Formats: sequence, structure tokens, C-alpha cells
Amino acid sequence: MNASTGVLATVRSSSLTGWTAFTGRVLAPYQAAVVRIGFALCFGGFLLREWPHRRVLYGDRSAWSLDLARQMLAGNHAFTVLAWSGGRWWFETVYAAAIVVSLLLMLGWRTRAMSVLFLVCVLSIQNRSVLIGDGGDNVIHLMAIYLAFTRCGTVWSLDARRRRLHPDRVDRTGVALWSVLGLALLFTQLTDPGGMGTLSPGLYTWSTVLWAFWLLSGAWWLLDRRAPDGEPRAVLDAMATMLHNCAMLVVMVEVCFIYATAGWYKIQGSLWQGGTALYFPLHLDYFNPWPGLSQQLSAHPIPVFLISYGTVIVQVAFPFLVFNRRIKNVLLVLMMTEHAAIAVTLGLPFFSLAMISADAVFLPTWFLVRTGNRISRFATPLATLVKHAFTRGTERPHSAEGVTTV
Amino acid sequence: MPDHPNQAARDGAAPDEAAATPQDRDPIPGLAPPGPRVPPQRPAPDRTPEQAADRTPEPVPATASTPVPALAADGSTPRLWSLPALITLALTATALIVATAWHLGTVFLSIAPSNPASQRYQSAINSHVLPEFEQNWQLFAPNPLQNNIAVEARVQTLAPDGSRAESGWYDLTAQDISAVRGNPAPSHLNQNQLRRAWDYYTSWHNLPGETSLGTGGPLSKEYLKRIALQRIGSRDWQGNQIIQIEFRSATTPVTGPSWTAAAQKKQTSYVTLQWWAVSDDDYTGLGIHG
Repeated sequence: MNASTGVLATVRSSSLTGWTAFTGRVLAPYQAAVVRIGFALCFGGFLLREWPHRRVLYGDRSAWSLDLARQMLAGNHAFTVLAWSGGRWWFETVYAAAIVVSLLLMLGWRTRAMSVLFLVCVLSIQNRSVLIGDGGDNVIHLMAIYLAFTRCGTVWSLDARRRRLHPDRVDRTGVALWSVLGLALLFTQLTDPGGMGTLSPGLYTWSTVLWAFWLLSGAWWLLDRRAPDGEPRAVLDAMATMLHNCAMLVVMVEVCFIYATAGWYKIQGSLWQGGTALYFPLHLDYFNPWPGLSQQLSAHPIPVFLISYGTVIVQVAFPFLVFNRRIKNVLLVLMMTEHAAIAVTLGLPFFSLAMISADAVFLPTWFLVRTGNRISRFATPLATLVKHAFTRGTERPHSAEGVTTV
Repeated sequence: MPDHPNQAARDGAAPDEAAATPQDRDPIPGLAPPGPRVPPQRPAPDRTPEQAADRTPEPVPATASTPVPALAADGSTPRLWSLPALITLALTATALIVATAWHLGTVFLSIAPSNPASQRYQSAINSHVLPEFEQNWQLFAPNPLQNNIAVEARVQTLAPDGSRAESGWYDLTAQDISAVRGNPAPSHLNQNQLRRAWDYYTSWHNLPGETSLGTGGPLSKEYLKRIALQRIGSRDWQGNQIIQIEFRSATTPVTGPSWTAAAQKKQTSYVTLQWWAVSDDDYTGLGIHG
């Protein structure tokens, strides 16, 4: 009797704890932030690197002409605002906006809006020329969607800084941004530019997702102003928290999927079984920026065997060992090292950065917090110096600076 | 209004959020001691306690952790929701959990080898996963690619007197390779464009007969043709107008490691396609003027 009541109480207690955590706690905020920063940096950096080739890859000079793209989009209904117009001005605007949005998302400026805009930009640019992408683009594509559903700006963001310094200031910029985005969404929905039906209404469409984001963030802001202690605001907050927690789970499982499929399919390959597989990618011309280095790496049978087997072992084991804190951290170090090596040897820096950013979702909190502290300890004096130089240079009154920041 | 008793002091001491240490964490929201009516705490999202697969090694402050068993044991709820709120939250939670399970399940089946479940629910899986969640992680698997495939093209011109002339083969891939060599960040233009366009073409055609296998057939043919025309960069060759283009692939196997029994001699094999007509339309938007 007593034992069973004890068990019942334990079950009840743990399910209650689970429910409380699920509804009341933004789980893994530092991991969400590091994933946000990593992918924004990766995509923004990619766009800057491709700046000289942008029109040939995604724009009006593309061999994958807008006509070809539209024929493919008519079949697969992928989302891209770049199909709305073939004009150069539209392409240049979207491409430049994507760079700005990546930067702002990285900094965490109006993160809620920027994460949704980041999703729109990533999908628009990639789906315009889907045949130009590789595995790295695929990871960015998925994570851009998942990130929009997280609260990835709760730490390490300008938003967090603003909320801390000015908890009671009305966020006029945020309201303006929200209004503009709502109007833009309404306008495009009513006019259907390009006649593609990109935002045509329907339960299971991007239109629903975008409007839901817009309405919920509006409602949240309104309740936060009018009745910050009221229950409706708490309910909305708990809903957003649950959504975040689900999205973070999806991000983590997605990383496991990537490693599991990569590993399990390799096991079936004779070259991986034979321990020589590593040799072949190192001799593919397209992935061989440093032939001397590749020759060195693949010159001896034992290192090739060890890296080939090690890759398979780590990839297959990861989804299971992720539950063991210590071994997981060892695996993370191994995988990040391997991806850093891939960046150099195979000439895939953006793929590698994307994978490292995805891996980072599993980094331990203490490590992230400590690293963040170190960076801020190093960066804060620098920032202060720059700020002083700036204020002196423009001769702005010191009092204004003082009033706004204290 | 500070939403945490220590906020003012902390803000003064550490103006950067990154400086906040784990010990500074707020007590866990939602686990406030039970009272007659606990108003929902204003969240301080920038300082919400971190919690992931890992916890911080530092002990959680006693104030935060002790109420948990007490709360659960005496049956009170951490946050006293009204019934409508509780129903809303329960419905949302259910919907989110179902949606998460559905998403992960369909994505898993879409990347797993073909099996009874993925065959039976093919259309449901595709309708959710395609196009935005499409993925393929068979990176260098089951076996890495063991061939270097070069795509080459040559053009045929028509002179005013009606005579035709053919150019030599342009090794388009060689141009890519030379741009990749010594480049720490090769462009997608060189690393992916032609390589993937050729994959796309061959996956939608039976070679060498060039029969199209479906909707991707004409698209992939036009795409490949336009890539070559753009790279050749002129509507003329030796002063005469280009009227046809021909492709061939040159496949060279990677010679296996010297310590295996693999053949060490490189042998290139060619597949040559037919001549394709080139019209003004093929140049649309390529930035090449006649």
C-alpha cells in the first residue's frame, strides 16, 4: 500500500516537474542562442562570399532562369519571394536584405521578427536556385525554419540587453517593425505578385504560419503592456515556451538524424568496411583545393583506416551516446574537429560551419556560459574604448549618453 | 520596475548579459512557493535559467530546488492556472506534441531506407516533408564517389556562306577546378553549379539515347545548355554565329590507394551527347549580347 502510494507520488511529482519545465521554462536558452548566432553567421558570411557571383547564382543572370525556376516551383510549391519578379532591383533588394537580416539575427536585434525574416530570406534565396546548393545549404534551410519557432534571443542578444537596461521602455521600433511587416504580408497576400500563389491562404501553408507569428507576437506585446501580470499574458508566454521547447527538441533530433543516416548508410559501403573510404573524397577534383595536403593525408594506410572507421563509429554512436553527458562532450569535440578539417581539406567552409553550428546545440551550458563570459571580459573594454572614441569624435554631449544608459 | 530583487544591483555590476554567471540565475519561474494566488511571474527571458541536456555543475540554489518535492507531494500546482487557462495550455501542449511527433516521424521515414511504413504512408510523408524539409544525408555513403567527371562542350558555327565549323572541346569542369585550387572558400559557382547540373541532367535522362524521364528532362537540358553558353561567353566563335552545341562527359576513376589491389592506371571514358540547337532564347538573361 505504502510503497504504491510512494510510487504514485513520485510519478505524479515527476510528471508535474516535467509539465512545469515544459510550460514554464525556456529550455536550453544558451544553446538556442549559439545555434542562432552560428547559422546567421554562416548564411550571412556565405552571402557576402558569393556577393561577386550573386546574380549568376540566384539573380537575373542565372543560367537557372526565372522561367526554369518557375516551372520547377509550379511542381514542388517551394517558397521563394524571388519568383515574384524577374527585375534586377527586386533580386538585389532581397539579397541585400538577407545580409542585413542575417547580421541583425546574429546580434539578436528584434529577434522574433528577424528569425522569421531569416526563414523567409533563406528559403527565398535557396529555393530560387535549388540546384546550386549542397549539404551545407540543406542544413541551413532546415535550421532556419526550426529557429523561427524558438525563443533564440533570450540570452546573448541586443534584445536581452535592452530588456535588462530599459525594462519599462515602450519598444516603438518593435511596434513599427511589426506594423510594417503586417502591412507587407497583407499587401503581398492581396496582390499575389508573380501569380505564384506563394502566400495563398490555407490551413497548412506559409501564409498561416506567418500570420500566426504576427498575431501572436502582437497579442503578446499588447498583453505585456496592458496586463503584464494577468493570466492571458502568462498563458501566451507558456505557449511560446512550449513551442520553443518542442522546436529545440526537433533541432536536436534533426542533428541525430543527420549523423544516424550518414553513419548507417556508410556501414553498408564496401569502401568504409575496407577502411579506405577517406582516400576517395580526398582525390575528387571538385573537393581538392590543396592537392599536396590531400596527398599527405591519404598517403598512409593506417591513418586513412583510423579516420574512416572513426568517422563511422562516431556518426553511428552519436544518437545513442548523446544521453551520456561525458561521452557526448568527447564526441562533440571529435565531430567539430572533423568538420573543421573538412572545411580546409575539402574546401567546404560553409558546410562545416553549418554542421558545427548544428552540433553546438549539444554543447554543455557551463561551457557556453564560461565562453560567453570570457568573450565579454575581452570585448567589453574594447567596446567601451570604441564607444568613447566615437562619442569624442562626434562631440556628442556626455550627459545624453549617461541618461540613456544608466 | 526591476522584475527581480537583485536586478538593480546586478545590472550595475555587470552591464553585459554575457557576464551573468549561472549562480545568478533566477529561481525557476513557475516554481514559486505556493500561496493563496500566485500571480504569474513576469518572465525575465534574458535570464531564464538555462537547462539543456546538461545542467551546470554548480548546485542549483536551494530556494529554487527545495519547493519542488514539497509542491508535488502536497498536490498543489506550481502555478495556479484558472480552468480555461489550463484547458488552453493542455490543448496547446497536446497539439504541439502531436505535431512534433508527426514532423520527426515523417522526416525519419523520408530519410530511412524504403520500408513497409514509408511505402504505405508515402503520400502523407511526402505532403509534409516536401519541398521544405527534403533532405539527404548519405554523405559519401554507402560509398564515396570514385570518379572524377568532367563536362566538356564544343560549338558549331554557321558562316554567311553557309559553311559550318566546329570548335574544339571546352573543358568546363577544368575551369571550375582551377578556381577551386588554392581557394579556402570555393564559390558554389565553381563547386556546385556544373557538377550538380550534370547530375540533374543524367538523373532525368537515359544515356546515351537522351530519352527524357519526365518533367525534369527539358528543364535539365536547358539548364545545362545555358551554363555552357554563359561560360563560353560569346554568341560567336571565330566571327561566326554559334548555332549548335554538343556535350560530352569524361569520366576518370580515382585510382585506389596504392596499398590495395586497385588498378593504378587512369583510364578516361567518354559519353558524347547529340548536337543541340542553340537559339536566341537560350541566351535570355545570360548577359551575353550578340
